[in-house]
Amino acid sequence: MNPAIDIYHLDKSFGRVKALDGLDLRVATGTVHGFLGPNGAGKSTTIRILLGLLRADAGQVRLLGSDPWADAVTLHRRLAYVPGDVELWPNLTGGEVIDLFARLRGGTDPVRRDELCQRFDLDPSKKGRTYSKGNRQKVALIAALASDVELLLLDEPTAGLDPLMEAVFQECIREAKDAGRTVLLSSHILAQVEVLADQISIIRQGTIVETGSLTDLRHLTRTSVDAITDRPAESLRDLSGVHNLRSEDGHIRFEVDGDHLAAAVRRLGDLDVQGLTVRPPTLEQLLLRHYGDQLVHKGAAEVA
Amino acid sequence: MATTTVRRPAAAGLSAGNAVTGTGTLLRFMLRRDRIRFPAWTLGLALLMTYFATALDTIVQSPADLEGLTAFSGSPAGALFGGPGFGFDNLTIERFLAGQYGLHVAVGAGLMGLLTVVRHTRAEERSGRAELIRANVVGRHAQLTATLILAATMAVLVGLLIAGTMASRGFDVGGSLLFGASIGAAGLAFAGVAAVTVQLSEYPRAASGMAGAALGAAFVLRGLGDMAAVQGSGPSWLSWLSPIGWSQQTAPYVHNRWWPLAISLGFAVAAGTVGYALSRRRDFGAGLVPPRPGSPRAAAWLASPFALAFRLHRASLIGWSAALLVAGLAYGSFTQPLLDGLADAPEDLVALMGGSENLLDGYLGMMALTMGLVVGVYAVLAVQSVRAEEADGRAEPVLATAVSRAVWLASHVAVAAIGALWLLLVAGLGIGAGAAISTDDAGLIGELLLGHLAHTPAVWLVLTAATLVYAVAPRALPVIWVVLGWGLIAGYFAPILDIPDAALRLSPFEHIGEYPLEDINLIAVSVLTVLSAAVFQAAVVVIRRRDLAGRA
Repeated sequence: MNPAIDIYHLDKSFGRVKALDGLDLRVATGTVHGFLGPNGAGKSTTIRILLGLLRADAGQVRLLGSDPWADAVTLHRRLAYVPGDVELWPNLTGGEVIDLFARLRGGTDPVRRDELCQRFDLDPSKKGRTYSKGNRQKVALIAALASDVELLLLDEPTAGLDPLMEAVFQECIREAKDAGRTVLLSSHILAQVEVLADQISIIRQGTIVETGSLTDLRHLTRTSVDAITDRPAESLRDLSGVHNLRSEDGHIRFEVDGDHLAAAVRRLGDLDVQGLTVRPPTLEQLLLRHYGDQLVHKGAAEVA
Repeated sequence: MATTTVRRPAAAGLSAGNAVTGTGTLLRFMLRRDRIRFPAWTLGLALLMTYFATALDTIVQSPADLEGLTAFSGSPAGALFGGPGFGFDNLTIERFLAGQYGLHVAVGAGLMGLLTVVRHTRAEERSGRAELIRANVVGRHAQLTATLILAATMAVLVGLLIAGTMASRGFDVGGSLLFGASIGAAGLAFAGVAAVTVQLSEYPRAASGMAGAALGAAFVLRGLGDMAAVQGSGPSWLSWLSPIGWSQQTAPYVHNRWWPLAISLGFAVAAGTVGYALSRRRDFGAGLVPPRPGSPRAAAWLASPFALAFRLHRASLIGWSAALLVAGLAYGSFTQPLLDGLADAPEDLVALMGGSENLLDGYLGMMALTMGLVVGVYAVLAVQSVRAEEADGRAEPVLATAVSRAVWLASHVAVAAIGALWLLLVAGLGIGAGAAISTDDAGLIGELLLGHLAHTPAVWLVLTAATLVYAVAPRALPVIWVVLGWGLIAGYFAPILDIPDAALRLSPFEHIGEYPLEDINLIAVSVLTVLSAAVFQAAVVVIRRRDLAGRA
């Protein structure tokens, strides 16, 4: 089957700033693809090119088999989009906006719309200007999820949502996948993408630096462990995949590669562990560790 | 939505000293923010007065000219748009300036006062910036206090500048000071009104809307009262219910009464006190009037880009329709008094109206041109709102549905184009009805409708030219005001300024003809229409090719 999104060597500059620099991205039909990168890496620019809002400087872009610039209108019937920063008309209610977008896209399912309003706990009778950022986000999400489309382009869709709504969102994305839809989910939070995505692409400074399934990227997920043990922890030092082990007064810290986590935890059990904190790595840490050059100065301060 | 989290501890907020902590710093900060706006308002109002004075000087060459003006201004219609006409039986230039034009400057000062207060209080709270400020060592009343001091400073400065302007022209110094003070007092009174309305609604636009409505009511009340006063019968006491009325009752250069300004001052202080009291009763960021919910579903007709564009322009169109209808009726009802008054008006003025034989047709044709220009303003503002749709990121989700850029742009421009036609119809109907009642000639309605509608293609050209500028370089859109500015100069001052014909014809409004004074040039109407369509096509071609502006 043709990929839903196929981008090859895409360039885009704004004045002298190079936003995208030879970007390659393939999203297989029917999968959830995590599009991961720090703020300003070029995620939104890529999505806006896919929407035909921006014109590519060079490279090839195919969206659902067509050219997103030339065939924008036909393509937009088959996709829905949620921007990262949703702006609504101040004097239209949320319900009016949801209905309007569905109708402009060509189809509407009132039952599904009401069900989504309920699940996301949105009051559709409030005017756009009275919604908080999270509620504006919900309006755009409901409008997108209620429509019967092949592809969802989601640009940091949960930026303003609380954890409860985040869970509802994840449920909805799983349903979309079960219905055979393709999802491009951009985010700067690794943990969010981890739970949903079949495939992940990491973008940095306009270039994809890593792409593959979660297992492929296992080597990237080095977890930080913080533990208090009764017995000395020196035996951990011999364990493969353990890095930067430090210990003082029975308080130990180390980092461990994702595929060696189980062994390390088992060993901690043998050491009569009293307290344990395990933190997944942040995207910034990952990028710093694997591709850190310019990021070192900025990133070092954050990690410290 | 902001909540009460930034409220200062209750114990600290009790003493007056604490509640206004930081006022000085905030005031300096406001002055820094308003470094353009402050001089623009104060100098602008003084310049407006200078303009009126200079214009009057050029028109009035002899005492006979002055008498001609009295006939017009002393009529009830003249009182409605001027004032009670103190001392008009023994008219001097300065009495006419204060009595006829003082009203416009006073309304300007009122607007200055209310907009300044809304800008620095409710608008700041709404944007969330005030929350940052209040989280610092700043008292609960510091923002309102600093704002009122700023507004009062502006009012005093406007008063002094206008007093200086008048005194420098050789008018009586005492009267000039009083006239300046009466203008400043209007600014102060409506700053007080706004101090109340900003407590009522969460939204700055609603706050300035309510204060603006109060200003409008003040205008109408004193207008009715002054009309009664000029006629010598009726409820002339109505003028005393209006802050603008108090300013006018000082009668500068005639009775030179200072005491009505004490009422203005007392009113401003009382309104400010109410503002403080109300602000204590509400949470930060909240209004006293809760927002109303709307429909949870879109109406069935809201299903196309054109319907969306109409929905977005609707409120503005309703407002414009109401304003143009009222203005049209008012200016139309001027017709008969004007004809009576102009019989012995200054020559230049008569020439502008098409000469003494065609005074009626000249005046009506002039009104049609004026309304054409006003509706031109509507067209430019409509394009500005389209630009805001793109710049604020609201166009993006629409264009991400099955709506092409051409259709999106065409929907907005079509609504504005039909809106312009509609507004000219409403204005023509208003003036026609007013003139028909005033002169007892029902036939005028048809003539005025035709005269107004004939200007539609010129407005369309302004509309599509603005659209083209927006498509090519959105930031350059304000350039289009030049076209309207030139239209105004060419239409009003051509006979006085000896502008060459070729330059006049650069204005799209100069080709159609000021019906009923002149015939409508059908060729010009067709050419302008075709040209508008072509310019719009060019705008579509351009906007199809460029990147869409994003917020990020």
